[in-house]
Order: sequence, then structure tokens, then C-alpha cells
Amino acid sequence: MGDYVVFHDVAWHGIYAVYFFVIGISAALFFLSALSWFREEYRPLRTPAFYGSLVLLAVAGLMLIGDLSQPARFLNVLNPAYWHMTSPLVWGTILLVAFGVVSIWYFTTLGKGDSAGKLPAMIGALLAIAIPVYTGFDLAVHQHRPVWNSSLVPVLFLGLSLISGAAVATFLARGDPRLVAALRQIMLWGSGAVAIMVISLVITTGYGGSAEELTYAFMTSGTMGMTFIGLGLLAGTLLPLLVLAVPMGRQQTGLMAAAVLILIGGISLRYSILMGPQIVQTFFS
Amino acid sequence: MSEELRLSSIETRGVQGKKRYAMVIDTRRCIGCMACQVACKAEYDTPLGVNRTWVPYKVVGTYPNVKKHFLPRLCNHCDDPPCVRACPVDATYKVDDGGFVLQRYERCIGCRACMASCPYNARFMLPSHRTYTKINNVVDKCTFCFHRVTQGLVPACVQTCIGRSRVFGDLNDPNSEVSYLVTRNATQVLRPEQGTKPQVFYIGADRNQTEYGRDLYFRPDVMEEDRAAWSRNLKI
Repeated sequence: MGDYVVFHDVAWHGIYAVYFFVIGISAALFFLSALSWFREEYRPLRTPAFYGSLVLLAVAGLMLIGDLSQPARFLNVLNPAYWHMTSPLVWGTILLVAFGVVSIWYFTTLGKGDSAGKLPAMIGALLAIAIPVYTGFDLAVHQHRPVWNSSLVPVLFLGLSLISGAAVATFLARGDPRLVAALRQIMLWGSGAVAIMVISLVITTGYGGSAEELTYAFMTSGTMGMTFIGLGLLAGTLLPLLVLAVPMGRQQTGLMAAAVLILIGGISLRYSILMGPQIVQTFFS
Repeated sequence: MSEELRLSSIETRGVQGKKRYAMVIDTRRCIGCMACQVACKAEYDTPLGVNRTWVPYKVVGTYPNVKKHFLPRLCNHCDDPPCVRACPVDATYKVDDGGFVLQRYERCIGCRACMASCPYNARFMLPSHRTYTKINNVVDKCTFCFHRVTQGLVPACVQTCIGRSRVFGDLNDPNSEVSYLVTRNATQVLRPEQGTKPQVFYIGADRNQTEYGRDLYFRPDVMEEDRAAWSRNLKI
């Protein structure tokens, strides 16, 4: 052909998708722990879900810092004098720091009476909702990226966070029937909402302009198609939805299987949504 | 650009009393010598594998009706740059008088949000293995040769262009050569639909190169081998 181009690297590599996954689970586990102050069936989750959330928050923070090309300069983003509020990364930093502080406050109330933890639980639950929403905005604000630049993405990431957290909580529930039933409801309705959002995103992308059309083709075919459609949508969202909807989903085995599938779907969807539009962009010479 | 089209307060094109530097690239005059790419590499000690400016070309058509099209590329120094609003620590900023989009290397945390936000792939991460210049692991890009322009010189790529394909100047000055060229010729910018208001204007750019992702499904095998080798060897 005799063509000549220079090659371009993607901006955010796969580790960022793992970060989305981990911080989403952390936030959702905190949310479920906080729910235990208001809904009795979640009471067995209060302590284990919180500890899980705290560990994953630490892991996610380290991943975020480790992913920087100048890890020691993470302090720059903690410096209010440098904050550039048009960047969602600043909102994310503020939310993560606040979430960490509230988590420690919440920790100090765990051993106390039944009303002591309500306030940190409420504040923490609001932050736990905001964190996956900010991760969605991390992507959604880039106006030239197909799939990312959609108002659905922050809501989708919130939904993915909730069902991934509920899936992990299923393994912490130790078979408590009321809790398991409540988690099943979250996973069932959450997976349904995620499926509708992903399908809407796929269809609107397919009907978009040339960039969207190429991204659609790339994300629904080849290796990325297997990750996005195969693992993310079919195996990781629609199949657990089916399992949870039938009587098998009310049994422990079915619930566990659905939880595993949801976790596979959660990481696959995040990975393909993160990487697909970026790989296509590298071909803009 | 007329006043009514200015949507963001950051835009300086057409603002009286301010300079708005721009580049016009007449692709009809580009011979593909790559001297601009070499001059830029020499000016900045840009490492292997990454480029501040580059000149991709494409051979289109079927023999005997063939043509080799060049499309010199660089940062578009957008009048409304998405990279500036994406940077969490103000490491990327726009110079109000002149419109240069620049980078504070000492502040950059390497989060790559600016790379994600750039529709033109103009930004890259400096690798850790540079020999002479000890600026590593931060995002870099074309500066429109800020250090030269503020000394009354033109950018290195413009200085070296033997076909005078690249022309640089102040678009807010109606008597400048770039104003003349933009006024008197049909010009194109890359991805105008993104609303970034690029300040690199092309004359005679070919749609085989300006259209988004046209090559994605027609990748020559040899280029894929090169791409794989590049990915293997790029150590950030």
C-alpha cells in the first residue's frame, strides 16, 4: 500500500476498568452496610460488607495512584490550589477522600448503639452513590468519544456498581434467607436496568455518525465483540437475569451462579466500554 | 470567525487586542519530505515512538489513477481545547494572548485525561528512557514552538518546510499571511463537529485521511506487524 502512519497509544489502559470495578464494589458494599441501619434484613451485612468496602477502597486508591505516570504527584490532585473543577477527576478525588473519611467515622460507630451509625451511614451512602456516578462522568465528558459521551454512562456505572456489590454481598450473606432474598431483588432488578441501558447504548451507537458506526462495528465483532456482547451482555447480564427470574434463582446455587456471572459481566462491560472507543480512536492517524 | 459563533469565554479568535496564532497547511505544496518532523524532533529531543508533529500519507486510487496524499499533523491548539478542561491540576492551560495550548511538566501527574480528551491524538506520554532531556513520564505535545514565537521566530517545522506548505501567523491580524490564506482559500479543519475550533487549517486536505477511522477495517498486514512492534517497544 505504501501508506505511512504513526501509531498512537490508548490513554487509559485496562487497569482503569479494574479500578472502576473495584471502587464500584467498594461503594456498593458500603451502601448495603449503611442500609442495615434502616432495613433489618440487611443487618447481617453491616460489619462484613463494611470491612469489604474499606479493603477495596484502599486497593482502589492504590490502583489509582499506581496508574499515574507520576505516582508521587498524586499529592498535586489533593492540593485545592491546583484543582481544576471542570475535570471529573477532581470531583472523584474529593469524593474518594470524603468517602475514606466518612468510612473511618462509620467504623468508629460500628460497636456503639443502634442509632450512633445512622448519620455516617446516610452521608456515606450518598457518597457511595456519587462515586460510581463520577467514574461514569470520567468517561462521559469526553465529547468526541462514541459510547463514552452519553448521559447513560454515569447511570450505567451506578447500576453496575450496585449489582456487582450485591453479587459480592451474596457471598457474605452466609445463606441468611431474608438477606439473600433482598439481594436477589437488587440483582434481578439491577441486571434488568443494566441490560436495558447497555442495549440502548449499543443501538444508539449503531445509529450514530461515522465514528459511532465504526465503534459499534468494532465493539460488536471480533475479540471485543466476545468481551462486550458475549461476556458482558449475554453471559454477564441477560443470563443472570434469566437465572434470577426463574425458580432456580431463589435457591442458593442459582443465586451464587448468578452472582459470579454478574461479576464477570461487570468487569467485561467496564473493560469493553473503556477500551473499545479508545482503540478505534488510535486509528485516526 | 465571527463574534456570534464564540461559545466559550476561553476563545480568543477575533478578540481585539489579542493574538490568535494559527497554522495553515497547504497540502498541495507538501512533498512529504518529513523535514518538519525531523526539525521538530531535533528542536525538542522528542523520543522514538512519539511525535509532536508527523506526516502520515496515503496512496489512494488504482493504477494508473493513483495519488499520494500527505496530511501533516500536529496539535490543533484549539480555541476551545477539551484537554484544558479535562486536566485535573491545571497542568494544561491555554495562553490567553496567542492561544498556545501548553503543558506544565512539573505539575502534570500523568493521569492522561488530556490524552483521552484530545480528538486528534496530538498528545502522548513521554517515555522514561530519554537520553538527554530529563523530562519523563509526563504528557507532552506540540507547543506551536512557544519559545521561538515569543522571540519573533516561526515554529521549527514552518522554518524548515521547503515547499512553504506550512504557514504560521496571527489570525487576528487581518494583514497576516495566514489571514490572507484562510480568507482567500477553501480551508478544512479536522473533526470540526467536535466544537474544538481547531487553529490548524488545511488547504486541499483529502477526505481519505481526514475522515474518522477509515482504515480500521482495512488494515494492511505489514502495518499491523509494525503496530505490534511499536506497542511492544513503547515503554512508558
